[in-house]
Order: sequence, then C-alpha cells, then structure tokens
Amino acid sequence: MISRRRLLILAGASAAAAFAGVSPIAGSPEGTSKDPNVPRWAMLVDVDKCTECVKELIKKTGDPHVKPPCVVACDEFNNVPEFEDKKKDPQWMRIAKFSLDKESVEPEEFYMPLLCNHCEHPACAQVCPTKATFQRPDGIVMIDTHRCIGCRYCMIACPYGARSFNFEDPRKGLRHINPEVPTRSRGVVEKCTFCVQIVDEAMERGEAPEPACVKACRLYSKNALVFGNVKDPNSEISKLMRTGYVIQLRPGVGTDPYVFYKFIKERP
Amino acid sequence: MAIEFKKINGDSPGYFAIVLVFAAVVAIGAISYLANHFGNAPDDMSQRVPWGIVNGAIPYYIGLSAGSLILSALAGVFNIKKYKVFSRMAAFLAIAWIVVAILSIVMDIGKPLHLGGATLYFNLTSIFSWNAFLYSSYFVVCAIYLIAMFEDKQTATRILAGVAVFWAVMVHSGTGAIYGYIYSRELYHSVLLPPLFIVCATSSGLGLLMATIYLTFKYTGRKLDPDLVRSLSKVFLGLILILAYFLVDEMFEKGYMPGLQRAIHFVFLDPSQSIFWCFWLLLIVGIGLPAFIVVYPRTGRDLRWLSIGGIIHAAMIYAERFYLIVPGEVFPREYLPGYTMTSLNTLEGSIVSYTPTPIEWAQVIGLFAVGYLIFLIGLKVFAILPEEATEEVIEE
Repeated sequence: MISRRRLLILAGASAAAAFAGVSPIAGSPEGTSKDPNVPRWAMLVDVDKCTECVKELIKKTGDPHVKPPCVVACDEFNNVPEFEDKKKDPQWMRIAKFSLDKESVEPEEFYMPLLCNHCEHPACAQVCPTKATFQRPDGIVMIDTHRCIGCRYCMIACPYGARSFNFEDPRKGLRHINPEVPTRSRGVVEKCTFCVQIVDEAMERGEAPEPACVKACRLYSKNALVFGNVKDPNSEISKLMRTGYVIQLRPGVGTDPYVFYKFIKERP
Repeated sequence: MAIEFKKINGDSPGYFAIVLVFAAVVAIGAISYLANHFGNAPDDMSQRVPWGIVNGAIPYYIGLSAGSLILSALAGVFNIKKYKVFSRMAAFLAIAWIVVAILSIVMDIGKPLHLGGATLYFNLTSIFSWNAFLYSSYFVVCAIYLIAMFEDKQTATRILAGVAVFWAVMVHSGTGAIYGYIYSRELYHSVLLPPLFIVCATSSGLGLLMATIYLTFKYTGRKLDPDLVRSLSKVFLGLILILAYFLVDEMFEKGYMPGLQRAIHFVFLDPSQSIFWCFWLLLIVGIGLPAFIVVYPRTGRDLRWLSIGGIIHAAMIYAERFYLIVPGEVFPREYLPGYTMTSLNTLEGSIVSYTPTPIEWAQVIGLFAVGYLIFLIGLKVFAILPEEATEEVIEE
C-alpha cells in the first residue's frame, strides 16, 4: 500500500528528476566522469596470447575444464566460492572457446576471458530497481549488496552473462577467506569489480593498479591481460590498443563495454 | 429490480471444508518457500536460468488481477448494465490477485527483507522501479473503486472505473515491458509483449472469472441466468483468438530471422524440449479447445463446459508465462554473435535445462490458493455477491 506522503514524495521526485534533465539512457544519470584527472578504467585482452596459454594448459593437464592462473587468482582474491553443482556455482571470470563453424575451412579456435565489461551504459544499472548496481565516476560498475533485493533483473538484462546469483551461502564454498574483500551472503547478485580494492589502494599510493587476474597472467602466464586508464593516451593499455585490431563484445546493444579484445596473430 | 448484494452466511460445513482445503494448500506453499529459501529444498534455477516459475507467478497473477479489474470496470465505463452484477466480485478478485502478485514478488526475490529498498530508492530507468510504484498504487485504486461500489456512488464508480482500467493497462503493460524491453536477449526483446500481456490478462482473468461465477453461484444456491455467462464467453472467445494471432505472428517474425534459426528450432520444433510442448499445448489445448467449447453449440450453452474451458485456458496461460520467460534464458546468448561458444567452467554457450521442482510448483499453487482464500473470506465479510444474476437488470 502507498501512503499519501510517499505518493507525494515519489511524484515530487519524478518531477524534480524531469526538471533536472535526467537522461533516460542507461547507467547512472551522471555517467562516468568527464574530468580528465579521473581515470576511465578498462581492460585489454590479447586474444592470441590468451589462446596460446589455454591451449598449452589443456595439453599439459589433459583437463578441458582447467582454470588458468587468471581465474584462480580472481577466485582467491575476490572470495568467489566453488560449488560442485555447475548450475549454482558463481563465477566472476570465465574462459570460453570460440569457433566459427565452417567444416570445409576449419578456422582456428580461440580462447577469451569473459568478465564484467564495466560498460559505459550498463544495462544492469539501468534495470536495477534499487540502484544497488551503480557506476563509479571511473567507470567501475559496483553492487551494493546491502541494497540488492536479489530480484536478478540485472542478470536477465546483462548482455554478457557476467553476473552470478548466490543461490547458496558463498562462504560455504570457500576454502579460505581473503580479508581484503568482503564476503557476500545468500540471496544477492555478485560480479567482477575490476578488483576495486586493489584499484583504490594503488590510486592512494599513486601507483598503477593491477587487478588480480592481470597480475597472475603477467607472473604465471603470457601477459595477455592489460589493465589501465584509457583516458590517458600514454598509458600502456592505450598504447597497446593502437597496435592491433580491437573489438568489443556485442557492440550492437549499445552498452559500450570497456573490456576490449585485440586480434593480432603473429605471422609465421 | 435493483441489484441486491449480500454477504454469504458462511457457516455451512461445506464452506469451512473448502476454506480448510485452500488453507492447507497455502500452508504447503509457505513451507516449501521457507524450505527453499532458508533450507536446502531444491529448485532447478541456475546461473543461466535465474528466473523460474515463481518469477512467472508475478506476471501471471498480475494478469489475473488486471484482467478481472478491466472486466469489472468496463461494465462501468461503457455502462453495460447486465454485467454490473459481477462488478463487485471481479473487483474484489482483482484486489485478491494483486495481493498474491505482490506476495509472489516477495517470494521470488533473494532478500525479502531488503524489499523496502525498492520503495526508498527509485531508479528512473528501471521498469521494475516504476512497477513497484504502479503495483502499490493499483491496489489503492482497486480498493477505492470497490469502496465506491459498496457505497453505491454511481458517478464516482463510473469515473473510478475509467481510472481503474487505465491503471490496470499501465500496470500490466509495465509487467510486459519488464520482459519485452530486455534488448540483450533476442527471445525476450519484443514490442508485442506489453499488448500481448493485456490480452493474456483479460483472457485468463475472464476464463477464471466465468468458472468462479458459475461455481460460486452454484454452491451458494443463487440464481444465475446462463445467458449472462454465455455472453461473457463470446468476449472470451474473441480475446483468446487475438492471443493466438499474437503468438503466431511473433513465431513467424522471429522465425524469419536467419540468425535466430537455431533458437526458433529449439523453441517451436524440438519435441524433446518442454518449451515445444508449452507453446503447442498452449495453442491447441489452451486456445483451440476452449474456442471449440465456446463455438460448439452443445458445449457452448452448458455453463459447466464453459467453466472447464475457462479454467483450461487460465491454467494454460501459465504455460504461456513459461514459454515467455524460460526459453530466453535457457537458450544461450551469443557474446560474439555467430560464433559457437564453449565455456570451460560454466554452462554458458550450451542449452541449460530447467525443470521446475515440486518445491517450486508448491509455491506457485500455494499462491493461487492464497487468492481464493482471500476471495472465500471476502464473500463472508463483504457484500460482493448479488442475490441473483439475471439479464433484466433495471437501475434504481
């Protein structure tokens, strides 16, 4: 039931929003910051290096479901639980194989990591009824799990399947807990945060942030992932983006994702 | 002769028996909910299918509510006097169903205790946010409309009937938009969903209303002119045929796009999938059979058959909700359109089965019983049933 007072508040708020010129387009009304001093975080994936790593790992272990260092590091740092039942198992970073089905040609398959794209116009924030999902000025899309009502509308809306729902208490699926990252409870949605704790700490110290997956890929694998500020034309990510053919996933839906995939294959 | 509305006595063993039966079903539903949300009773939802049949209950019961209200109020708006006998009953059912719909939202979400947030924080771009406002205000509109009828305020009733129809259309279009505006899933994205929801709502609401009218009048020993229900059944026939037209149109439109061929085959042509049966049973049993019952003279004149037709249709509209919500989740999204995707550690890229468990069904059926429990108690507390219902109604 709605009280007269609440009705007035809602009506007033809607009118105020209309006057303030709130854009009906996705995302937080303000969008990401236009201030050149505020970074815009993004990730660049070198698909060729990533494919090389996963293929080698599968060959070495014989396990087609192997988790590469990036996924392991993500799970460990972010307290992402592991459950037997794949249907209920939350996953922030996933590796997927892509192939173009042309039997006569058999083009080479490639592997790419899938994660939250921290879109410029996030569909999840657009549909969230409580604004539990929101976009920071630096582009990172976050979930306030205390505000999340667990309606899962965001999971339906996200074009990239980046979100997981906690059907179970995630703490039951953890072997050890990283105290740096808060654990979540049953009944809310969670996803990749670009390791926001690492980002914020690095910024405070004035260093370049390196999320857990990027670090693991650099230390233990092919250095296929690069994280950085795309507003700065001299950042490593900006320089590397100029050296290849860069695509976004599903650009047609207009969410403008900020995880980019670079396609360059070394000539033999 | 003016219409006289009266409460029922509600002291017969039969009344208490039926109340007890519905209460028991509600109890089973409540226990299933608690066991599912706070215990380990299994549902078959997954990271790929996060909306199951309990979510389907939301549009279903909102549909029944909107349908009931539209039918109740149209009599007022267009001043169709003969249907006024059912106006109070239908409006009361509309209130009962919106309570059930809001309850199904509470039961579907992961954090019911956070639900207050949906009223505190308004997201202008979220259809769900708008709906939180629409659903609660709709309840108030229904209640005021019913009070106006109780008070016999003719003009107020007529104006409120107009407001109520407008509100019901808003509420249910909003519900359709929750699904239809999802641009990231081809099988959801459809401009047709809001109007289709309105048709579904009125057809299922009317189907169930015909059966409810027949059974209520029969078991309270009231006189019911069969021609009244027969004329309702003609409206019902028109609505279900429009629904069939919408469904078939949508099928061909999606099927026309080569990029959706695999998905279309999966939804409409693969008998190993439950979706296939949902769609075709909906068309054949949920629409074809009731249409035949109405048209065929021997069954079309028999209120028992018409009630059965109405119930079958209302039940099969649940299959419609399944057909609407589930395929768009079960069928994998293409993150890189055109490429075959295989995920190493998740079920993305493959068809993820979803078979609702008894625990989920118990919640949906329990919610249904809540609606009828409210109705049964309402019959006793409020004067919503006419003394008798005949064609010749003369206004005071």
